[in-house]
Amino acid sequence: MDMDADMDVPMQDANDDQLTPTLDSGMNNQNTSNDNNNNNDDDIQNNPITLATNSNDYSDDFKPGSSGIADNKSTTPMVLNNSNINQLDTWIEKLTKCEILSEDDVERLCKMAVDVVQFEENVQPVNVPVTICGDVHGQFHDLIELFKIGGPCPDTNYLFMGDYVDRGYYSVETVSLLVCMKVRYPNRITILRGNHESRQITQVYGFYDECLRKYGSANVWKMFTDLFDYFPITALVDNKIFCLHGGLSPMIETVDQVRDLNRIQEVPHEGPMCDLLWSDPDDRGGWGISPRGAGFTFGQDISEQFNHTNDLSLIARAHQLVMEGYAWSHDQNVVTIFSAPNYCYRCGNQAAIMEVDENHNRQFLQYDPSVRPGEPIVTRKAPDYFL
Amino acid sequence: MSNGVAAGSEMTEDKDLYPLALLMDELKHDDISNRLEAMKKLDTIALALGQQRTRDELIPFLIEVAQDDEDEVFAVLADELGEFLPYIGGSKYASLLLPPLEILASTEETLVRDKAVASLNKVAKEFPEEQLLHDFIPLIEHLATADWFSSKVSACGLFKSVIIQIKGDALRKDLLGLYLQLVQDETPMVRRAASKHLPAIIDLLTENINLSTNEDWDYISTMFQKISTDQQDSVKFLSVDVLISIMKFFNKKGDSTHFQNLLTSAIKLISDEAWRVRYMAADRFEELSSQFASNPEFISELIQPFLHLCEDNESDVRKAIAKQVPGFAKFIKNPQVVLEKIMPAVQSLSMDESENVRASLALKINNMSVVLTKEDAINNLLPILLNMLKDEFPDVCLNIIGNLKVVNEVLGINMLSESLLPAITELAKDINWRVRIAIIDYIPVLAEQLGVQFFDQQLSDLCLSWLWDTVYSIREAAIKNLRKLTEIFGSDWCSQEIISRLLKFDSQLLENFVYRFTLLTALTTLVPVVSLEVVTEQILPFISHLADDAVPNIRFNVAKSYAIIIESLVKSGKKEYLELADNKIMPSLEKLTDDNDVDVKYFANQSITKCRPMFA
Repeated sequence: MDMDADMDVPMQDANDDQLTPTLDSGMNNQNTSNDNNNNNDDDIQNNPITLATNSNDYSDDFKPGSSGIADNKSTTPMVLNNSNINQLDTWIEKLTKCEILSEDDVERLCKMAVDVVQFEENVQPVNVPVTICGDVHGQFHDLIELFKIGGPCPDTNYLFMGDYVDRGYYSVETVSLLVCMKVRYPNRITILRGNHESRQITQVYGFYDECLRKYGSANVWKMFTDLFDYFPITALVDNKIFCLHGGLSPMIETVDQVRDLNRIQEVPHEGPMCDLLWSDPDDRGGWGISPRGAGFTFGQDISEQFNHTNDLSLIARAHQLVMEGYAWSHDQNVVTIFSAPNYCYRCGNQAAIMEVDENHNRQFLQYDPSVRPGEPIVTRKAPDYFL
Repeated sequence: MSNGVAAGSEMTEDKDLYPLALLMDELKHDDISNRLEAMKKLDTIALALGQQRTRDELIPFLIEVAQDDEDEVFAVLADELGEFLPYIGGSKYASLLLPPLEILASTEETLVRDKAVASLNKVAKEFPEEQLLHDFIPLIEHLATADWFSSKVSACGLFKSVIIQIKGDALRKDLLGLYLQLVQDETPMVRRAASKHLPAIIDLLTENINLSTNEDWDYISTMFQKISTDQQDSVKFLSVDVLISIMKFFNKKGDSTHFQNLLTSAIKLISDEAWRVRYMAADRFEELSSQFASNPEFISELIQPFLHLCEDNESDVRKAIAKQVPGFAKFIKNPQVVLEKIMPAVQSLSMDESENVRASLALKINNMSVVLTKEDAINNLLPILLNMLKDEFPDVCLNIIGNLKVVNEVLGINMLSESLLPAITELAKDINWRVRIAIIDYIPVLAEQLGVQFFDQQLSDLCLSWLWDTVYSIREAAIKNLRKLTEIFGSDWCSQEIISRLLKFDSQLLENFVYRFTLLTALTTLVPVVSLEVVTEQILPFISHLADDAVPNIRFNVAKSYAIIIESLVKSGKKEYLELADNKIMPSLEKLTDDNDVDVKYFANQSITKCRPMFA
């Protein structure tokens, strides 16, 4: 199928849609099949946007690679020297205060980052102990809260499972900080790709507009989206916990098959790489059509089989809003972790992170939105009529 | 200044001067952002032009700009002109700045006007008296009698620059007469501005207590009457501050003839039917009542109106008055009256339906312990405090805890240990980590008051338990707390009560790297505050043993920790410690620089770079 990414078509605000809970009600037939606690985070089926599959669908400006950050890729992994380190430390200090980097600095950062993440694997191995985190979505102050709860990087090792941008007001600061940390401490932090780390999605859900607003041009957006193409798509914690943004794919039976994918591209609109970033677990067994319009839903039988085949103890994923910040499904074969408290500044949900220690003990830490003086306090629960 | 003359064609040669021509062009650029940038560099332009040309060319040009541009540009221009005196040749040319600023002070945009007024006041400070009379006062008169309200609003903000500089009584009277007109202006915006600036003017007269005449005060009195009976709430509520300033004047003057009248006015405002007026009276209650404090009868007349505010229908009014309770109560010199009249109001505010009212009361309520007798405080205040510590709204507890020190001082340790300690222990386990951290922050104060023995019995377990909290920030605060406690109780105490107990901790707990990390950080943090025997005999062995931990995060923190230990050892200047550092710790650090983890290598190298010079 050949569908154009036509941005002029009016789009339904998917924000309302992900606010629709499926809790016990079944009032929304689209989502009734989902896990009880889970709410869809976006829905592209209802939106007439489609994911372009080849670069002909872009205007020249939006072509992958047009930022030039990957034009002089190194053939060996980046080794930091003292001046890089000082520069990165300065940037991290600045970003921690929620101040953006200059456009030139973002370019320098992204060039370094390409030479770090391009050498990571599709299934990036990660050691324990590590703290696993879900969606952040530009909620910068809540990311800072996350570090207050889990400990600062590099003292604590982190694994983020995608969706750093869109929705929140500080996507630029959030993604810049995480990428800075990645370049500065490549062994201490792993950042995977989420379905929002894509050119099309960010044009609809906020990151593109935010870059335009904060930098006056789309250059920074181009650099970051070009960088996103190099992000690893899954991680394997101590060979036991398979971590990814969305879920499983009917075309992937073994972890080795993920290793064979060519991931360096825009997120395709179908196929295994798309599924890994878009799928959701479901109460129904087997494979189902996803209401999101991309990826699939998969049942407990699928998760059990996958974990058994690959000798895994758990699939950890993000991608869906869960009111308690984390939610088990499929008889503890799958866990959903969501790290954006009071999602979109109005959902009233808690956030969570999962600490895995060196003996594979797991502990969930839940937290509420950070306290920001001067901002109105939102009550914990959104009123019923919003839902 | 000759350097300004150089600002011709050859300025392209000079890197500092090159942008000048460009900047002048930029000031006329089509794009507003270019004009804004150029305007921000106005001082550079003026410096380059020199004083003569700035006066002759730049100022006339700016007068044009001030009439034809966008508000953003005006705002920058208004700011810049306030700092412009040095560039035009000092105060004797100050009057040149008035025309552009007058134009800006008459614009519609409030932001621009405010900046222009601020700059005018800044410039006025440099005016000699004669020039004030000759140039500045006519400017005020001009603005104050303009047709449009915006100029009049600006005029109100300028009187404070001239009112005490004018030594002639007649002229001052004229100015106050002009001000009275503004106070009675037909537009509320002007009346509001006039009312807002009046207290500052009165305060200046108070500072120069003998300057003003009775006639001046007739004017001021009329102004107050007008403002306090204004039809508009938003004007009327400003009369509270005017009243306070008037009272300050008469108190300083030692003239109490008008006090009864002023008290009547105060009570009228306190019980005004407009809630915003009552709010203002409530918000300023302590300051207002302090002006009547010289006469106990006046204060007792204020008690009833005060109690009405405590029961006001508007929660914002109650919130405002709740913060003023102890401040007002201290003027009631009779503890019996406080107990019978004020405490019931405190009691009911402490159970107010609005959480914001309760939180506001919690901010200052502890100070009531100073006003009451000790016995009354124990019987009547303490139960309220204990109840508020159980409030479901965390801010209420946090505000109480933040000020417990006052209660300590009055009630003493025993009272506190019996009654407050259980509440504190409860809050120490609160589900909200920000409540827990507030308790931790309070512990050193408590420890100082309680003394070692009591602390060891009641609180040391609690302090150690925070080290194993699931939230990082609590563990971090717990560690800082141990350091503060050591500074209070000393190294021996720390060694016996803290470090020995830490090192004895269950080895199972230490299987989790989080706790090994916490212990490592805790011991490292204590290094600078304990004796070197403790460092070498207890702390160093434990840290060295972590140097080959399986987790790299622990190893690179050992590297950081070594640097701190070495620093302490070297500072002692003792040979044995120097040798220990050089022969034992440095080699261990060297070994870490060969680690297979880059971060361990990096931090080990950092520590070595830091320590090497210490041995020189």
